[in-house]
Amino acid sequence: MTTMTILLSLPDRRRFIGVAVPFIAVAGSLMIGLLLIAASGKSVPDAIEAFLDGAFGTAFAIGASINRAVALSLVGLGFILAFRANLTNVGGEGQIAVGGIVATALGLWPPVAGLPLGLAVILPLLGGTLAGALWGGIAGIMKVRFGTNEVISTLLLGFIALLLVYWCVQSTALLRQPQTSSATLPESLPIADSVKLPSLTGVPESPLHIGLLICLLLAGATAVVLQRSTFGLRLRAIGLNELAARRAGMPGGVLLVVALALSGAFGGLAGAIMLQGEQYYLKAGFSSGYGFDGLVVGLLSRGSTLGVLAGALFFGFLRSGGISMEIMAGVPAALTLVIQGLIVIAVAGSVILVERFERGGR
Amino acid sequence: MEETLAIFIASTLRLGMPLMLAASGELVSERAGVLNLSLEGMMLTAAFFGALGSWATGNPYLGVGCAVLAALGVAVVQAWLSVDLRANQLVVGIGFNILALGATTLLYRIIFGGLSREEIPGLPKLAVDGLSNLPFAGTALFQQSVIVYVGLALILLLWVVLNHTSFGLAVRAVGDEPRSADKAGIAVARTRRLAVLVAGFMAGLAGAFISIADIHTFTENMTNGAGYLALAAVIFGGWNIGRTIAACLLFGAATALQFQLPAMGINVPTAFLLMLPYLLALLAVAGVVGRLEPPTALTLPFQRGK
Repeated sequence: MTTMTILLSLPDRRRFIGVAVPFIAVAGSLMIGLLLIAASGKSVPDAIEAFLDGAFGTAFAIGASINRAVALSLVGLGFILAFRANLTNVGGEGQIAVGGIVATALGLWPPVAGLPLGLAVILPLLGGTLAGALWGGIAGIMKVRFGTNEVISTLLLGFIALLLVYWCVQSTALLRQPQTSSATLPESLPIADSVKLPSLTGVPESPLHIGLLICLLLAGATAVVLQRSTFGLRLRAIGLNELAARRAGMPGGVLLVVALALSGAFGGLAGAIMLQGEQYYLKAGFSSGYGFDGLVVGLLSRGSTLGVLAGALFFGFLRSGGISMEIMAGVPAALTLVIQGLIVIAVAGSVILVERFERGGR
Repeated sequence: MEETLAIFIASTLRLGMPLMLAASGELVSERAGVLNLSLEGMMLTAAFFGALGSWATGNPYLGVGCAVLAALGVAVVQAWLSVDLRANQLVVGIGFNILALGATTLLYRIIFGGLSREEIPGLPKLAVDGLSNLPFAGTALFQQSVIVYVGLALILLLWVVLNHTSFGLAVRAVGDEPRSADKAGIAVARTRRLAVLVAGFMAGLAGAFISIADIHTFTENMTNGAGYLALAAVIFGGWNIGRTIAACLLFGAATALQFQLPAMGINVPTAFLLMLPYLLALLAVAGVVGRLEPPTALTLPFQRGK
């Protein structure tokens, strides 16, 4: 109620429409979700109860949902950074994957795991971040050198990265745990305790880790950079009119590469945090869905850092609740995918509607 | 050795077929300037509704019809969003892929729940008289389901239409120079909508091939990235239909090799073979194998007077 009043009192009507569209899309898609539950013959109240229980019911549930939101926020922040320069980074999934690979490799390396003063935690995080930056940077260099559309290159690099994870965990020469029998799973060894992210609450029931703090710090930094720094202004300039920005003396090519590398760095960090914070060992598909979910979060935010955090929390809780709904109420968790897909399509499709309102409102 | 080679040829064709069908349709759409990242979603939707239709009616041909209609349904919405609402084509495509994965999994659990992996009536294999008795790969090549024959004919037709008809010229014009095309009196929006529907139709056949002709059942996420591979094939083929088909066969062969090489005692990491198509496509867009020019207006919506 209060949010609505604040929004309505905003003199800027455009802003209201821009914020309202994602809310309407989310509300409408959730309604369709409820209808689908009813249509499938399951009890709607039971499903809602299971959903809420899985999302907010226990300290574990809340911690797990927030941890998921942390990873999604990071990918989303990277997305809006590049998007400011009118670059669409659809390779979040791959950037998470390479971040996870490097964090695992460093975490399993005894000299790193034995480092004091928290360096055992920090080095793999940095390594993962750098790997992501490299993966994003490749797309940037291809764009500047060969004019390759970054959508195509980040997408292809994403698939390559996912298969790199598969390769790493299939081959004992790489990261696969020593094969003692034919039943040895294609996974890496678990990382040492010294490499794991410290808990935020100190409560053993809650998986919540300090990734949340890292994420909030970076969100603040991103907001400042985008809105108050020369770099942010330049990104915007190059995004609006590349030629004009170059004429004004901005280093266009360098900016594009840096934007994509930074965007990838966020994805790589997300991968390292997922690995060191919760999963602890590398396995194929460990990044499953996070990259595209993060992209969706970035898109829904319409470039706002707060929007990214809000969207990430929403999707974090949605996924956790969905899993619980499947276990406790027999409603397939795929329902959350349906809701998510509908939201994305509705928001993307309503852009022209928003524009029309904007023009009418002026 | 000869037998291994015959099996290899057969599985290359089997794995390359859905790629060829989907990629040739997508190529038409991309030449018109619309990129359907939703290709994967269209194929998955088609595979599901094809299986459902075949199972419910007991007639695999009706199943193929259901598959094509379902994919066309997705294509209609995709065309409306990309062309009329000028939505971001990539975002819409990703949305459709998430939705298709969710919706087919959900419906599969609800409808087939207890009967998972139920075999559905599949398409019979029809031998081409004379040719299928040829020694060596005769059976592998000339004993196929009707989708293969019809599909290959349609691909040939698309090649003719794209390169030798006025509609094909219009498609290429709206993809490269929509503004000039508009001034020359070509209906940009209508041409683009039709091109997206062509992609939907072919993706429908591709999905039907996977569930009805090849596997004879539906499994969750059964297209497993084939749509993305088809997109990569269009890129690697440099937006040229002949080279795109060759790319599909190459990708099919690379996938087939993961089963063949170990059988022959050659040890190549499976991951590398699976990665090869994407790696080749990446090198192709980087201009390593000759300069590639995507259609100039690819993914750019057209609005008159802007």
